[in-house]
Amino acid sequence: MGTPLLEILLPLPVGAAAVIWLLPSARRKPKIVAGILGVISLFLLGRVTHSSGSIERDVMFDVFAAVALVSGAMMVTDKSPAYSALWFALVTLAVCGLFFLQSAPFLAAASVIVYAGAIIVTFLFVLMLASQSGGSNYDQFPSHGVYATVAAFTLLGIMTCSIHRWSPDTKTDAIPGQLQTKAMVGTANPLSRANDTPTGSLHELGRSLFGDYLYAVELAGTLLLVATIGAIGIAPRRSQGTL
Amino acid sequence: MIELITTLITIGAVLGGTLGTCSYLIYVERKLSAFMQDRVGPNRVGPYGLFQPLADGLKFLLKEDIIPDHVNKVMFLIAPTISVFTTLLAFSVVPFGDVNTSFKWQDLPIISSFVPESWQTADVLRFLVAPNVDIGIVFIFAITSLAVYGIILGGWASNNKYSALGSLRASAQVVSYEIPLGMSVLGIALMAGTLNLESVMGKQTSSIFAWNIWYQPLACLIFFTAALAESNRMPFDLPECEQELVGGYHTEYSALKFALFFLGEYTHVVTVSFLTVILFFGGWHLPFIAEANLDANSTSILMILVKLGVLMLKVFLVIVFIMLLRWTIPRFRFDQLMGLAWKVMIPLSMANVVVVMTIKQFGISQWWLLPISLALFGAAGAIGVATKQAELNQRSVTTH
Repeated sequence: MGTPLLEILLPLPVGAAAVIWLLPSARRKPKIVAGILGVISLFLLGRVTHSSGSIERDVMFDVFAAVALVSGAMMVTDKSPAYSALWFALVTLAVCGLFFLQSAPFLAAASVIVYAGAIIVTFLFVLMLASQSGGSNYDQFPSHGVYATVAAFTLLGIMTCSIHRWSPDTKTDAIPGQLQTKAMVGTANPLSRANDTPTGSLHELGRSLFGDYLYAVELAGTLLLVATIGAIGIAPRRSQGTL
Repeated sequence: MIELITTLITIGAVLGGTLGTCSYLIYVERKLSAFMQDRVGPNRVGPYGLFQPLADGLKFLLKEDIIPDHVNKVMFLIAPTISVFTTLLAFSVVPFGDVNTSFKWQDLPIISSFVPESWQTADVLRFLVAPNVDIGIVFIFAITSLAVYGIILGGWASNNKYSALGSLRASAQVVSYEIPLGMSVLGIALMAGTLNLESVMGKQTSSIFAWNIWYQPLACLIFFTAALAESNRMPFDLPECEQELVGGYHTEYSALKFALFFLGEYTHVVTVSFLTVILFFGGWHLPFIAEANLDANSTSILMILVKLGVLMLKVFLVIVFIMLLRWTIPRFRFDQLMGLAWKVMIPLSMANVVVVMTIKQFGISQWWLLPISLALFGAAGAIGVATKQAELNQRSVTTH
């Protein structure tokens, strides 16, 4: 197994070109060009993913992954903030579909509740309050859109390289949809080594969170509590007449 | 193959059942409203007005389908479909009968002679669309939390002040009430050790004293109230209150698109009633009539139907209760609505979870949960009255 690095990196410049084309600008650009570039990029990406052997699974993976990527690009490039928030919701839902495919239903449901159900709703809430009459002038065009896109895709390329170079060799069975990587020589990066305990079921997940990672969970909980108390502290009082 | 057919038949039964029930629930609601207001109600179409739902449905189909000029067309059309889609999808993990039993092809008297031999022992109909979903109730919360998009998009795309105000209210309300809704079920999940609705229901079917209502009365109240708020029904229907907002988020909607919003709301009411019965009132269990041990020696089709009937009866009673509430409790003021969620229900449900955890940890009898729940409820009431009294005293001091 193993795909040359070049083949894995090839979709990135094409995808970057599609995103740059989609960026809002004063000139009118036909969207179809970006569409064609995007399809080429997705096709190249699809060639380097594993096949799981089951055709339904592959199709579902491809659909969810494509929806996530396209919605992500649209979220970054859409002119209207409200539409961006909706594209973000679609990204979240597609990623949750991927979680379901990887037998992590709790993670999927929790992200739907937290991201799609609460955070993006709050975004929309604020957007509807703030910009009923459309965005202001400085919202219309990105100031350094091309540089930002190139930088982001370069970072993505470097991350892909690092996964390609130091991907774990402990797992013999390839996860469907994972990048095909070459066989490992030398030791794997400890950070990227997969945990062997099964975390699919709710019981295992709970045991893992409140057993193996108890301190991290408690720390995160304390941080959130402090943030909540801080937010209440900052909020103006009714008696001060500011609300 | 046969598995797929079973699933399709089940989905068909659920879809048909839900949609049919929803249309007749409108009739029931109109008759009940009429009864409570000393009117006659619909009585012109068919005997006792029984064909009124058909007439209503036809009217929804045949009326002019208006899309106003000033709306965002794509979002305007997507919004009602999201509303129906999410509420129907949530129903897929709700069991609607005894899931351990099912109709088999060989049980059907005439049809069984026409199907192939290999199908005879297979299920015709399961009492659940998607069995063995580990996260059961979390899945329902996740899906129904998406229903708010229908309301938000409907209000935003309508490009109308009333719609926008309605959807703003709705988003704040639904996001707030999701918290007590989830927290109230946590106690049940801790006691049952699972989130799977089939298991939660199965654990309550040994006797009437196994029903969760005896151990979690406070959680039941919080769950029911929060779920009612999520479905935007009467005491909580601020997103569409007529006196202030014309029609709220669906002001600009007409014909079938309005019907879809309506259908979404009614399906939500049905789902909520099912959940209330399954989580707190023992599902299909009823002493002497539908019991698990009666079933052991006779797995007849009759027993299955009796259990189905008992469950449906309980659900119907909850729905009627929801409809009676509509004309009993007046609408909240918006700040009172938010206060109820954040200052009353969330602390109470947290306290409830802590009590359940303590009882589980120290192995104390579960019966202690009943007096503790009632005490918590009483304490909350006392604190509320005392604060209000103090506020009133303060006010009378400052005015004089």
